[in-house]
Amino acid sequence: MIIHIAKKEWKLLLKEKGTFFWLLGMPVLFIVLFGSILGNVSSSEVTVPYVDNDHSDVSRSFVASVEEKSGYKLEEKQSAEMQAQIDKIRDGKGTGLLVIPGGFGQSLQENGGKTIAIELYREATSDSTIAPLRAVLENMANAYRETKIDKALADSGQTAEKREQTLSAPFTIADRLENGSGYNVISQIVPGYTVMFVFFVIISMLKRFLRDKESGMTARLRSTRMSPVSYLLGMWLSYLVVALIQCTVLLAFGHFVYDLHIGDPVAVAVLVLLLALCGTGIGLAVCMLAKSENQGMAFTQLLTMGGAVLGGLWFPIDMMPQAIQTISRFTPQYWAQKAFQDIMLRGVHLPGIVNSLLVLALIAALALIVAMLRYKRFMRTALG
Amino acid sequence: MNNAAIEVIKLLKTYDGKKALAGISFNVKEGSCFGLLGPNGAGKSTTMKILSGLLEADGGSVSIFGREIRKAGNAIKDQLGYVPQSITLYEKLSAYDNLQFFGEMYGVPKSELKQRIGEVLEQVGLADRAKDEVTAFSGGMKRRVNIAAALLHRPKLIIMDEPTVGIDPQSRNHIFEMIRGLKKAGVTVLYSTHYMEEVEALCDDLAIVDHGQVIAQGELNEVLERHGTQTVYLELHNGGRPPALAGVNAPIQRGRGWTIETDAPLDVLAGWAQACRSASLKVSQLEMVRPSLEDVFLIMTGTTLRDN
Repeated sequence: MIIHIAKKEWKLLLKEKGTFFWLLGMPVLFIVLFGSILGNVSSSEVTVPYVDNDHSDVSRSFVASVEEKSGYKLEEKQSAEMQAQIDKIRDGKGTGLLVIPGGFGQSLQENGGKTIAIELYREATSDSTIAPLRAVLENMANAYRETKIDKALADSGQTAEKREQTLSAPFTIADRLENGSGYNVISQIVPGYTVMFVFFVIISMLKRFLRDKESGMTARLRSTRMSPVSYLLGMWLSYLVVALIQCTVLLAFGHFVYDLHIGDPVAVAVLVLLLALCGTGIGLAVCMLAKSENQGMAFTQLLTMGGAVLGGLWFPIDMMPQAIQTISRFTPQYWAQKAFQDIMLRGVHLPGIVNSLLVLALIAALALIVAMLRYKRFMRTALG
Repeated sequence: MNNAAIEVIKLLKTYDGKKALAGISFNVKEGSCFGLLGPNGAGKSTTMKILSGLLEADGGSVSIFGREIRKAGNAIKDQLGYVPQSITLYEKLSAYDNLQFFGEMYGVPKSELKQRIGEVLEQVGLADRAKDEVTAFSGGMKRRVNIAAALLHRPKLIIMDEPTVGIDPQSRNHIFEMIRGLKKAGVTVLYSTHYMEEVEALCDDLAIVDHGQVIAQGELNEVLERHGTQTVYLELHNGGRPPALAGVNAPIQRGRGWTIETDAPLDVLAGWAQACRSASLKVSQLEMVRPSLEDVFLIMTGTTLRDN
């Protein structure tokens, strides 16, 4: 009976094209969209105009050096255009403007001469865009300063070894990556949207349960040999398989299209199973608790969208306040996302995600208990 | 053939403090078609649901083929096919897929199911539409598939809850023929409706239900004779009022003619014929009218089925 009910449900799902869009099309679209936007932020080239009032070899060399170190594209403007560029920034149409004053080259060559100011005009809201350029300029100013100090020390008769000792930094930064594979936007987005859209299966479950109830199908089936529990389990099995297929397709899409590092496939498979059990288990509970489709949709939105934000599916959980981070531990999405990132980024295997798996299993079991407890009431209302 | 297929004794059911069934009792003979007639809200659907095992009664007992339904479980379900008032089909699936699902739910063996689906589709006249989605069917065709779903496991008893609501005459005739065919094959049919003409056309026995109680029951003719009043109908050519007769009720206008309710219809018929001849009135129609279930319902409840 259970497999017959599931088989009927799969036939219906295959007929309902909208379901494919919700469960597969939408998450793929989200992954592509956000993957393209966020994945290109670090590599995108920002163009900043500059005015060179010095026109010397030194100023030209300086501009080339800034371009090389910052990754910005510097676009030359004539002195006559300077005011127009400043007006553009004031009107919010430009991000910044670099102005190299006349006498810049001479000032650098005259070691010990007066300090000359490079002007960096910027728009109030473009701090984050201009900040790296500003940091590069400051670094270059420091480098020029060190060159001046070095020259002064050499002139005072210090040896090269002594000068190097004097000018060496008191500390350096040793960058050590501890993860098995590096973090990138895709390793956040693909598992994030996979987890998020597993919970969207609740919408399809809700619609089917309530339609069956309202059309009298649930009642009619009670006149057959079908046991009440078979109905519940048959429906659950059908959507469990849907969620498993959905996760597999989305992770495969991430792997083949965006080169997502999957990690231990066995650990991922067990995690996907527990995630699907959890999502569809909660779905069953929502279907049994909801008195109407509207009420059920409200529950579902709260669970999917609220869980996505709190569970760190849209952005890393570390970016959120401590209180929110604590609350997020009560969402299944957090544990699923954490386990995915443990496997994919930190190279963890099955024993390393046991805690996450246990939490997901516990939530699934609680949801099933709720569904079972409410099932009698659901049937009573279905029978009128 | 006279064994009771269904025995209903003092059935009680209350919803939210309101009595839906207030002690309904009736018997259905095996192999007969039994009509449950009553207005909407009379308790017909509740009775049907209890008989089909969908609802539990608050009191009273129901036996089907000699077995108390509360104790019989699946043994009764195997012998019973329930056709609900609403069309309960998956519109996006084909007629075949819907029937396959119901066949599986009724426990029809896989080896027989394909053949049985073909047979019931033939029975309801939709064999050529097996692979079409139900959504493309007319209301009447959907009703026929709805009935077919209850026939797959060859039940001995079919419970039909208002199966002809909102359908075209062609589908209605098809359903009537099918019910007559089932009866011929020895299947017992319990048929609920609020159309008296359906009961008159199909049923051997009936019970009239109102406010959760049976107000009349028995064989159709017996109920009509016991509770109905004989009537004589007269229609004059010029549409005028007929002459009054001494010692009988005053005539009541019905449509283009007039009727007199009487226990001595032949005397009234002869009296009116004589009076018209004497007054040289031209008669268009003069006849005895058989009492209808509508009349019986009106006499017993003071309201018509349509009023309800």
